[in-house]
Amino acid sequence: MAPVISLQLIDYAIIAGYILVMVIVGYSLRKYMRTGEDFFLAGRSLPGWITGLAFLSANLGALEVIGMVANSAKYGIITVHFYWIGAIPAMIFLGIFMMPFYYGSKVRTVPEYLKLRYNEATRGLNAISFAVMTVLMSGVSLYAMALLFKLMLGWSLTASILFAAVVVLLYVFWGGLSSSIYNEVIQFFLIWLGLLPVVFLGLKSAGGFAGLARKLPEAFFHAWKNLGSSAESPLGVSWLGVVFGLGFVLSFGYWTTDFLVVQRALASKNLTAARTTPILAAFPKILIPILVVIPGLVAVAVLPEFSRTAPPGAEYNSALILMMSRFLPNGVLGLAITALLASFMSGMAGNVTAFNTVWTYDIYASYIKKGQSDGHYLKVGKVTTVAGVLISIGTAYIVKQFPNLMDFVQLIFSFFNAPLFATFLLGMFWRGATPWGGFIGLLSGIAAAAGHYILYKTGVLHYASEMGANFYQAWWAWLTDFVVTIAVSLFTAKKDPESLKGLVYGLTPLTRETAKLWLRPEVWGSLALVVMLVLNIIFW
Amino acid sequence: MTEKKPEPRKGHFLDLKIPLGGLLGFYGAALVLYGLLSGKEIYGRSQGININLIWGVFILAVGLALLLAVWLKRSARDDGKG
Repeated sequence: MAPVISLQLIDYAIIAGYILVMVIVGYSLRKYMRTGEDFFLAGRSLPGWITGLAFLSANLGALEVIGMVANSAKYGIITVHFYWIGAIPAMIFLGIFMMPFYYGSKVRTVPEYLKLRYNEATRGLNAISFAVMTVLMSGVSLYAMALLFKLMLGWSLTASILFAAVVVLLYVFWGGLSSSIYNEVIQFFLIWLGLLPVVFLGLKSAGGFAGLARKLPEAFFHAWKNLGSSAESPLGVSWLGVVFGLGFVLSFGYWTTDFLVVQRALASKNLTAARTTPILAAFPKILIPILVVIPGLVAVAVLPEFSRTAPPGAEYNSALILMMSRFLPNGVLGLAITALLASFMSGMAGNVTAFNTVWTYDIYASYIKKGQSDGHYLKVGKVTTVAGVLISIGTAYIVKQFPNLMDFVQLIFSFFNAPLFATFLLGMFWRGATPWGGFIGLLSGIAAAAGHYILYKTGVLHYASEMGANFYQAWWAWLTDFVVTIAVSLFTAKKDPESLKGLVYGLTPLTRETAKLWLRPEVWGSLALVVMLVLNIIFW
Repeated sequence: MTEKKPEPRKGHFLDLKIPLGGLLGFYGAALVLYGLLSGKEIYGRSQGININLIWGVFILAVGLALLLAVWLKRSARDDGKG
């Protein structure tokens, strides 16, 4: 199959410029990496705007962007739920209510919080599942990148995999989390600068918003109006599923407990910056639909492959790539390709840095070799980085042989992630949650997710769509964790309240926010919620 | 002007605005140059708009603004020291 896109010298120069800058940034950070915290937590020194943009970008992977453009081409404006209700409330909650415990307790990782709040078993369960899943996800995204570049540009699979892995290895090895974060901020700028021309030129060609409105069915322009019941909803999910499954459980589970994103806030220079991190990220998050929804709508309006009269079976995942090759001349085309490349690379770097931190602090330093010097753990972190990249390459080739493995890894990840928010919610806000309550609750939640999945796949449970099954699976996993944690806590030994200081609401002396009123996280968080609400009403 | 406190040495490792501004400056300049040199025929896809030139000017401005911010901060700090 011939590649969809052909590049010129100018495009290659743009791609090369990005790679060069990333390697230089990594190299110049190298001399600052003196302690473990420098390497794993960027020395807790970064300003809020940098950690905020990194927090957002860590989730803005290329696959996600491509998938959401596809979603918009399929369902229309309804896709905004993944950016608004499915993200903003959770991000604000993390910043305002949870960050004082995460950052204030000076833990270095999410599993470490679980160890302090509950017990070793809870930490072990979370740390091991997270480390394994993260390094597998890194390999999965490495393979996805190579496959995309092969189809799009005709590059060789092996060359893409090895090249990307070496670049990521170099800069993470030298700069640790700082390199990852800097790459994510650069990626944030590249995504906007790379994709906005597609948005402009696409809209112009479709005749602006008025033209789009004429060419597309009316249902494409409503976010809530058609969500009355799962039968009439285009997603196969009613408003109830969207609000509780996506907006509450999935969103809070991901944004407030996934170490990959939380790690960015932990790298902030002080508590105010840490609390501001997710809140600052909320504003650009609200705007991302400009980059994904509009190209999706335009694709349906102007590309013959997706027109309403075309034969069914359109490959929606190719919508963004086709839009790029249709509207972008060489030059800005290279910029858009670089934006996708940057998303893939920073996604992999983020996974590798989260993996090396959890492995070093929560597995190696807790179970394998306790009480070593900081320098020893720094060295272990660097070796783990190399190992992480090698495992990713191996995983990429395994996934190449067994493409189904990709869905499988994501599936298992969802089992572990869905209930976690209940464990944190009770841990942070109910002092009565006991160590074994936390562990058995979490384990039951994971089992509930797996059990629900089996019942759904064997046809015992019915949903109007795969997405609906997903949302409800998360909901039941969360509820199981929540109920079991409370129930077991009532019968098992509590922790000494003294040891919970700084970890639980009500036992922690509240630090007075010293920032000026208009710089406070609460003020900006409320503003983000209001903006989100107004937009939801406008696009009702 | 000279009242500005000198920046404490402890801060983030490397000012990200430098590589970011440099990269965007390079992208902007390259796109502007390519926009000026390339023939009209490649702009059929963009409906006759020389998007490289227009977008290049914008990106160049963003890159230079970032570098300018670094320069202003540094000269303010040097003034404070002097």
